[in-house]
Amino acid sequence: MAGLELLSDQGYRLDGRKPSELRKVQARMGVFAQADGSAYIEQGNTKALAVVYGPHEVRGSRSKTLHDRAVINCQYSMATFSTAERKRRPHGDRKSSEMSLHLKQTFEAAILTQLYPRSQIDIYVKILQSDGGNYSACVNAATLAVIDAGVPMRDYVCACSAGFVEDTPLADLCHTEESGGGTSLALALLPRGGQIALLQMDARLHQDHLDALMEAAMTACRSLSNVLDGVVRQHLQEVSLLTRE
Amino acid sequence: MIKTEKILHLKSSRGRKVRVVREHYLREHIPCFSALCQADCTNEGKVLSADVTHYVVPDAGVVRDFLEVLEFRELRGVVFTQTACQAVQHSRGRRQYNRLRNLLKDPRHDCVLFCNEFQQYAYCPREQGEAQDKWQTRCVYHAAVWYYDHLAGLQPVVMITEDPAAVSEYSSLKSGVYVISTQEYLQSFWPDLQGALELHSSISQALQERESEGQEREYAEHLPPEVLEAGIKSGRYLQGTLNVNKHRAQSEAFVRVEGSTSKNEELNTDVLVCGMKLRNRAVHGDVVAVELLPRTEWRGRNTALTEAEGEAGEEPQSQPMPTGCVVGILQRNWRDYVVTFPLWEEVQSQSHGSQRILVIPWDYRLPKIRISTQQAEALQGHRAIVRLDSWDSTSLYPNGHFVRVLGKAGELETEIQTILTENSIHVPPFSEAQLREMPQNSQENPWQVEPGQVGARRDLRDTHLVFSIDPKGCEDVDDTLSVRTLPGGALELGVHIADVTHFVRAGSLTDLEARSRATTYYLADRRYDMLPSVLSADLCSLLGGKDRYAMSVLWQLDAQSLAVQQVWFGRTLIRSSYQLHYELAQSLLSGDEGAEVPELAPLDPAERRGRREELCRALEALTHVARHLRARRDEGGALELEGVEVRAQLDADRNITALVPRQPLEVHETVAECMIYANHWVARKIQESFPHQALLRQHPGPRQQFFSQLMDSAKARGFTIDTRSNKALADSLDRAVDPQDPLVNRLLRMMATQAMSNALYFSTGACSQDQFNHYGLALDRYTHFTSPIRRYADVIVHRLLTAALEKDKEVEPKEAPASNKELEALAHHINDKNRAAQHAQKQSTELFQCLYFKDKDPMTDERCVADAVVYAIRANGMLVFIPRYGVKGAVYLNNRDGQVISVRADGSCEWQSGSLQRHPDRISTSTGSGTHTFCLFDHITVRISVQSSRCHADRLCLEVISSLRHEAAEPGSQKAGQGRAELVQEVVRWAEEASQREAEGRAGAPKLSREEREFRQSKKPNLYTILQEIQELALSDPNLTPEPQTCATTA
Repeated sequence: MAGLELLSDQGYRLDGRKPSELRKVQARMGVFAQADGSAYIEQGNTKALAVVYGPHEVRGSRSKTLHDRAVINCQYSMATFSTAERKRRPHGDRKSSEMSLHLKQTFEAAILTQLYPRSQIDIYVKILQSDGGNYSACVNAATLAVIDAGVPMRDYVCACSAGFVEDTPLADLCHTEESGGGTSLALALLPRGGQIALLQMDARLHQDHLDALMEAAMTACRSLSNVLDGVVRQHLQEVSLLTRE
Repeated sequence: MIKTEKILHLKSSRGRKVRVVREHYLREHIPCFSALCQADCTNEGKVLSADVTHYVVPDAGVVRDFLEVLEFRELRGVVFTQTACQAVQHSRGRRQYNRLRNLLKDPRHDCVLFCNEFQQYAYCPREQGEAQDKWQTRCVYHAAVWYYDHLAGLQPVVMITEDPAAVSEYSSLKSGVYVISTQEYLQSFWPDLQGALELHSSISQALQERESEGQEREYAEHLPPEVLEAGIKSGRYLQGTLNVNKHRAQSEAFVRVEGSTSKNEELNTDVLVCGMKLRNRAVHGDVVAVELLPRTEWRGRNTALTEAEGEAGEEPQSQPMPTGCVVGILQRNWRDYVVTFPLWEEVQSQSHGSQRILVIPWDYRLPKIRISTQQAEALQGHRAIVRLDSWDSTSLYPNGHFVRVLGKAGELETEIQTILTENSIHVPPFSEAQLREMPQNSQENPWQVEPGQVGARRDLRDTHLVFSIDPKGCEDVDDTLSVRTLPGGALELGVHIADVTHFVRAGSLTDLEARSRATTYYLADRRYDMLPSVLSADLCSLLGGKDRYAMSVLWQLDAQSLAVQQVWFGRTLIRSSYQLHYELAQSLLSGDEGAEVPELAPLDPAERRGRREELCRALEALTHVARHLRARRDEGGALELEGVEVRAQLDADRNITALVPRQPLEVHETVAECMIYANHWVARKIQESFPHQALLRQHPGPRQQFFSQLMDSAKARGFTIDTRSNKALADSLDRAVDPQDPLVNRLLRMMATQAMSNALYFSTGACSQDQFNHYGLALDRYTHFTSPIRRYADVIVHRLLTAALEKDKEVEPKEAPASNKELEALAHHINDKNRAAQHAQKQSTELFQCLYFKDKDPMTDERCVADAVVYAIRANGMLVFIPRYGVKGAVYLNNRDGQVISVRADGSCEWQSGSLQRHPDRISTSTGSGTHTFCLFDHITVRISVQSSRCHADRLCLEVISSLRHEAAEPGSQKAGQGRAELVQEVVRWAEEASQREAEGRAGAPKLSREEREFRQSKKPNLYTILQEIQELALSDPNLTPEPQTCATTA
């Protein structure tokens, strides 16, 4: 079989999207009652679940305590059934640790940690089904969960991946596009201020193209933030209706 | 958008089956690309025309197997579905898919792609347990129905399929959408298109035959692609292009290893593949993976001269070299091949009642091809085009199918077509749509300068004395010159080039055609123009006394130092006052009173003298400037050698002058120098404006090891050649002159030319700046700007220059210049086409040489005996050059019976048994009657005969008849040039007579060729081009063919 054509001459991607179109996003907040905050998100076929505990006292070794702000603890894991071939180890491998670290950095930038000195906020994210853009699904799910937990943030953190194929930036890559060999970039944005919380790219890209690629990713993040905002408002409405009764 | 899911079962990298779920988004608005669209689709780009009787939607199977049929331009209104395209991509590989993509992009084909799988209402998901081809057919049918409904029933839609079940299932479901088989479709809708019908039946026959193939294995299986890829990465296999040795096609092939990063020095050479078994079904040009054999099995390459027939017995071999076997094929590079049908008697004896026959390709490097056809009897001895389909491990020969007949072997027209096809040159007559784009210029309706253009251009008609200097009889004048003194005393030099881009808009049909041709093709007796003749010979040709558009470069030079003070580029309007030819210009310069300028003839004597003096002054000023420019370039180390070659190429006279080393007219050099200067300045300008996307021309320095033959040969005569720099080389070549024999110097120069690498076009973004330089001209940047009529590269450079000027004026350019990637691809294409043009030229010259000698009896005809010079020694013979005909060839000193040439006292030769001994610079034969030694640069007498071959090109055979110089009937060497002209004329006459006889024989037969000629222009041989081309080819080596030397240009 010849290599897949990620972008056809007519400007369609493999799954029928145009280069700048996102996958379908569906999200729900407050899926679990026990946790302080929780959320579930589907971005195309990538499904992620995020749970937030805290802020609470620092657990485990006391030495981690920071006197001026809260400690963010993140853990990323993938369900064993999340990929086409069963995964052996749900968490703790190199990739997951790296992802945990990235999430931690992202949320340290977004959560107003100085409001909770000497305390800890736990964010647990699990990928239920993986189809590319795992990092961005995790960030988006965690944002909703943090909001659900009522932890103050500077802004929504929206993340999206983007790739570069045949001189065209593609937004929100699916798994086939990610593994197709092109450059891909993950970007987490605080949309209102336009600050970048995290930017990660580990393949080569010509400098001239970087701006175009980042612009595509940022546009995608902004539209995602609109979706997330809608989800939050919807959730609030439901909750307030319930409480009024 | 609606999201659905598609479930696929794929194989994972480890070979296990995996269930993959992919998203699939559908939308309501997918452009239909039809001019009849009622729903305001956003149809951008190519649109199906509305004036056809129906639209045709081919099924996936049809597109997969019969794409060639759909490639006929006559078939219009073809809608390719996405389903079908994907089927091609998955089952036929990238090459075929790219072919389909190019077809879709080509505006000359009336076909579009409809993305049916993304259309909400046309998409149908695959059902559980549904076979793939059933599902594809269903998808295509639904797409056809949607298309019909979408156009509100304005256009009937025909779906063609190869599946009879589909015809019966779908044909009666909906009126307006017809489902029929391909054959039926072609028969009922295109009964006139016999070619398509024949092609269809030949392909389907080939497909059937393949199914009934035997199971006996002839070759080892190829390894699967994953294994190959891993093996290449780990270094176990080597990847490279297979090159079959033309002279030993059966036994020897070489694989040029790509990007040999191997530390092992030994492996940086080619890998030898011996025999057909080890070659394992690879065909010349394929990209293959080879595995090296153990060192004990390594063999050397053969160094003896052979004819195509293999010789038995021990053959001299060189050092053992890496030897390997082909384990897999990464990319087939099959093209159209010309084959010859065997005679019917032979077919009957070899076949067993089947319709399959083996045909023999024209190219020696290819194996025989098996095709199945019912016309074998009618086509015996004909040449035809064949395409390869497959080569299974069970079959000794590749399978192919027959595409088109070219004609009877041996006829001039057939042979010319053969040469064109073998070089992948496609020059159909200009289509009507293309000609409709052209401006009109006829007697009743003469073309006039458009009023809008007068204001937009700088008008030089009254201010500048513009003239052109070209070979005699030239009709496409693309460059003119002007020179004048400005009020301040400064000189103004101007080069004005035909403004082709004004008439040929980027993206127009003419532009596309010119781009695919890339150059004008000159064959020995005709030429195929890049642009229609209304442009090349009329509106773009800067004829004397006519108003014409031009692209000009004007330099303001300091009166004393001639340093450039200012340079101006831009579009102008000029009127050439004099259309001079070289000889006339030269005699005006040398003050010859007898020289008549035709433009001045009607004037009265006083005015005539004044005008004449003015012209002479301009010519003198021009010569002065050119001398200065040349001197400046020489300081930089411009290669004198190339100067000679190039100068020689430019002009009509060269054919004569090149034989006798005599300085060509100075005016040639003057014109060439101005053109080089213009090219150089334009190169600078576009490179500065578009640092990453300018089209330049580079000439890399030669590799020192290529000079070894030259140095060894020179040593034989006691000369030393210094090749360290271009200047040193030029100087040492100038010194290497044998006063007794001017040919020695010429042969040495020829060898030096062969050692040069070719000049190539490239895009500046693809190379680093230190690679831009032009070795031969000693310039840091160079491009081609001065011949847009016959070179497409110049057209691109004109557009770049226009864009650069617009950029300077800060005007938004009308169209963005091509990106680096596109330009690099284009440069490759042009380079390839130029190479093909040279090969075609060379082969056509050889063809003419053979035709010339064919009807002469070598034993009696005096013209078949000629003087030859030895220029290289081989193990069993020597290579000689015949100055009289410009032929190079091999002379054998032994024959198959083990006899060698022995020389009698009077110099005459005969065959006797004896032995041969080879030394670096001489070869000796020893027989009972004595020993004779042939040295490099010895003159001998040879007899020329033709060895004819039914399936391949005829060849000239040379035979030594005397070891002495041939003294007879060579009245002055300049006759040689005439000899060559006479050669071509005679062959043309011969061919015309033959065709006339034929026409008389079939009285009343339609004379199609005349119409063809009209569109293709210039059937009549232009003496100048003939002389030029033939001579040029005679100079280049039959095996190496350097690009006709590189730099300076005009004509």
